[in-house]
Amino acid sequence: MSSWLANTISEAEQVNDWLSPKRAESLALLKNTPWPNRKTEAWRYTPINVIERARFSAANDTDVQITAIENLDSIDLVFIDGIFNLQASTNDFPEGLFITQLSEGQSCEWALDGFKKTKPNKHFFGLINDALATSGCIIDVAANARIERPIRIVQSFTSGSQSHTRILVRVGPSAKVSVVEQLQGDELCFNTSFAEYDIGEAATLEHYRLAMQCQAAISIGGSHFSLAQSAKLTSNLIGFGSQLSRVDMDIIHAGENAISKLNVIYLLDGKELFDLHSSFEHTVANGTSDQNIRCIVADRANAVFNGRIHIHRDAQKILASMNNRNLLMSEDAQVNTKPELEIYADDVRCAHGVTIAEIDEQAMFYLQSRGVSRIDAQVILSFGFINELVDQMPNVAIADWLRPQLRNRFANMEIR
Amino acid sequence: MTDQLDEALQREYEAGFVSDIESRTFEPGLDEDVIRRISAMKEEPQWMLDWRLKAFALWQKMPEPDWAHIQYEKMDFQSISYYSAPKSMDDRPKSLDEVDPELLATYEKLGIPLIEQQQLAGIAVDVVFDSVSVVTTFREKLKEQGVIFCPISDAIREHPELVQKYLGSVVSQKDNFFAALNCAVFTDGSFVYIPKGTRCPMELSTYFRINELNTGQFERTLIIADEGSHVSYLEGCTAPQRDENQLHAAVVELICLDNAEIKYSTVQNWYPGDENGKGGIYNFVTKRGICHDSAKISWTQVETGSAVTWKYPSCILKGDNSIGEFYSVALTRGAQQADTGTKMIHLGKNTRSTIISKGISAGKSNNSYRGLVHMGKGAKGARNFTQCDSLLIGDKCGAHTFPYVESRNPTAIVEHEATTSKVSDDQMFLCRQRGLDPEKAVSMIVNGFCKEVFKELPMEFAVEAGKLLEISLEGSVG
Repeated sequence: MSSWLANTISEAEQVNDWLSPKRAESLALLKNTPWPNRKTEAWRYTPINVIERARFSAANDTDVQITAIENLDSIDLVFIDGIFNLQASTNDFPEGLFITQLSEGQSCEWALDGFKKTKPNKHFFGLINDALATSGCIIDVAANARIERPIRIVQSFTSGSQSHTRILVRVGPSAKVSVVEQLQGDELCFNTSFAEYDIGEAATLEHYRLAMQCQAAISIGGSHFSLAQSAKLTSNLIGFGSQLSRVDMDIIHAGENAISKLNVIYLLDGKELFDLHSSFEHTVANGTSDQNIRCIVADRANAVFNGRIHIHRDAQKILASMNNRNLLMSEDAQVNTKPELEIYADDVRCAHGVTIAEIDEQAMFYLQSRGVSRIDAQVILSFGFINELVDQMPNVAIADWLRPQLRNRFANMEIR
Repeated sequence: MTDQLDEALQREYEAGFVSDIESRTFEPGLDEDVIRRISAMKEEPQWMLDWRLKAFALWQKMPEPDWAHIQYEKMDFQSISYYSAPKSMDDRPKSLDEVDPELLATYEKLGIPLIEQQQLAGIAVDVVFDSVSVVTTFREKLKEQGVIFCPISDAIREHPELVQKYLGSVVSQKDNFFAALNCAVFTDGSFVYIPKGTRCPMELSTYFRINELNTGQFERTLIIADEGSHVSYLEGCTAPQRDENQLHAAVVELICLDNAEIKYSTVQNWYPGDENGKGGIYNFVTKRGICHDSAKISWTQVETGSAVTWKYPSCILKGDNSIGEFYSVALTRGAQQADTGTKMIHLGKNTRSTIISKGISAGKSNNSYRGLVHMGKGAKGARNFTQCDSLLIGDKCGAHTFPYVESRNPTAIVEHEATTSKVSDDQMFLCRQRGLDPEKAVSMIVNGFCKEVFKELPMEFAVEAGKLLEISLEGSVG
C-alpha cells in the first residue's frame, strides 16, 4: 500500500460525524481494494501515480476570484478548497428550495439514506470521498416546486490544496430545477468531488458540470443520477483536461418512462488527460437514453472514454444510443475509447457508434478555396463539430458564456 | 411458442456419439515428465523439447485470466490427460487403406469424406483425432506444387528450419495463459507451407475430434504463406457428448509474407453441453496472424458450439498496405457462453481492416463481442471499419459488446458501429403474411442477418454453416 493511501486511511479513521456508519462501510471496502494500476480495467489508460508523488495541504486561506457566468442569474454556493464561503454565496433562497451544509446534515432526515444511494461503490476515489468528504451541501427541492434561477455550485481550488466535497440533491416529485457544478483552479491541487442526484417522479433536472480545471490540477469526481418514474434529465459536461482529470457519470433509470440525455464536449491540449466514464443503467422497462460525446484532442493530449449501456433482465422496451466522435489534431495526440453494451433483455433497441479521424481534407479544401486561411478553416470546422452540442444546451446564458471560452481554447491549441 | 423453444433447447447434439476405438492415453496430470514423454513419443529434436519446457516454466507462473465476460468452474489442470492416441496409430498408416475402419466410419458419420471422392470436392484434409493427426490426404499431389501440408509433428522432424524460424513468432510462449499451456503440451495439428508465388491448387482442411474422456485437446497450427502465394484453409471440429467439461486450448499462427494471402475459415461445432450447462467443451483458443507488406489475412468464423468460447482471431498489420479482415457469426443457445471478437493492430502505413461480427443469442446464453482496434503511431492513412450487430431471441439471454478503440495517428480513420435488437415484429409480420411459418421466418431473417459473413465462407462451408444455424435455431421463436 502506498504511503499516500495509508495516510488517507488513517485520516479517514479520525472523521467522526453523523455520516460515520456510511463512512465505515466505504472505508472497509477501501482497505480491501488494491491501489489501481494499468491492469485495473477502470484505470487502464489513466495513470494515477502523480497523486502519490505530489504533496498537498488541507486548505489554503486565500482570496479567490470566482469566475462569473455573464447574464446568468444564479443562486451561488461557493466553496474554496472545499470550505464554504459565505460572502460569495447567495443566502436567500426561493420558496421550495432548502440548502443545508453537509456538516449540518443530521437535520435532514433523508440525507443519511441519500448518501451513497446513487453513487456506485466500485469507484476507488469515490470510496475515499465517502470516507473523507466533510464539506459540501445538501439541496432539497420540494415537490412541485419550480426553481427558475439555476443553482450554481462553484468549487475553486488553490495551489497545493487537497479537498473532498460531496453534494446531495433531492428533487421532489414534479419539481423542476437546474444545477450547475462549476470547478475551477489550474494550479497543482488534488480534489475529489462527487454529487448525487435523486430525481423524483415526473421531476425535471437540468444539469451542467463544467469541469474546466486545467494544467497541473488533479481532479477526480463524478455526478450520479437516479431517475424515478417519468423523470427527465438533461446533463451537459464540459471537460478541459489537466494533468489528471477523471469524471464518472452514472445515470440509473430506476423508474419507468424516464428520459435521460447526456452531452459531453472535451477539448484537450498540451499533455492533458481527460478520462470520462459514463454508465447508463436501465434497471426497469420503458426508458429512453441518449448520449453524445464529442472530443477534440491536440498536441500530446490523451482522451479516454468508457461508455456503458447496461440493460437489466426484463427491462424491455428500451431505446438507448451512444455516439462518440473524436477529432485528432496532432501526430502525438491519442484517443482511447471503449463503448460497451451489456444487454439482458430482447425487446430493446440499442446502438452505439464511434469515429476517430482528423478534420476532413475535402471540407478544408472547400473553405480554403474560398479564401479562408488554413488555421481559420480548422477553427471553423472544429468549432462546428462541438457547437452542435452547445446549441442544444437549454440554458442560453451558459451556452453564450461557453462559446467564446471554447473558441479561445482553440485559438491557443497546438494545432500541428 | 415456449414449447417449441423448449423442444429446440433439448435438441440433441448430432455429433455427440463416442467412437469405440482402442486408444493409448496418458494418465491425467501435468509435470515436466509428461512433457518429456510427449516430446519423446513424437521423436522430437532437443530444441523442441527445450522450447516446450521453457513454455511450461512460464505457464506455471501465470495466473488464469478472468477478464472475459464468462463464468465457468476453474479447471484442475492435473486432472486432464495430455495425450491420447488411437492405439492402432502406433505405426502410422501409409495410406487411407490402412486406417482403422472404425475411425473412417466416425468421420463418415460426421459427414467428412476422407476418401478419394473428396478429390471431386477438391479439398485436402488433415484429420486430428484427440492428440494425433490421423491422416492427411493429397500430400503427394500438393508436393508437386511445392506445397507442404502435413501434421506439425512431421514438420518438426522433416522441416525443422521452417518450424524453428516461425513457431512462436506470432504467438509466443508467454503470450497468454492458455497459449503458454499449449506451447508446453501441444500434441499435433497442421503445418502448411506455400512456396513463393504459388496459388495452392485446392482448399486445405483440418478436422478436429476429441474422443477420449478426460482428455484435453491442444493442437497447434502453423501456416506460412511465402511471398506472393495464396491459400484457403478450412477448419472444423466436433466432440462427443460428455457430462464433464473438456478443455480445448489451441494455437493458430499465420505468417503472411509480402503480397501473400491467407483465408482462414472455421466452423466450430464442439459439444456445447446440455441445456443446464452441464458438460461441453471449454474452447480457449489463441489465433493470430502477421501480415507483411501488401499481405492479406481474412478470418471467417462460424461459432455454434462449445460451452464456453474464448477466442479472438487477430491480425498484426505490420507491413505497409496490408489488409486484415474478420467475419464472424457466433450463435449461443442453452447455457452457452461466448466471449469472442478480434484484434486489429495497425502498425504499417495504409493498412486496412474490416470487422463484421454478428452475434445471435437464444435460450439463456450470453454472447459477447470483445475487440480491439489499435492504430499505432506509424499507421499513416490506415482505415478500420467495424460493425457488430447482436440479435436477441428470447428474454433470458444476453448480448454484450466490449470494443476497445485506440488511435495514435490523426490520419488514421476508425469507424465503429454496433446495434442490438430482436427479430422485429414487422419483419415477422411480413414473412408470416406471405405464408411462412414462424420458424422458417426466423431462420430466414437470421440467415439474412448473417449473410455478410456467410458470403465470405468457401461454398461447402457456407452450406454447412447455414444448415448448422438452421438446426440450432429450430423452434427458438419466442
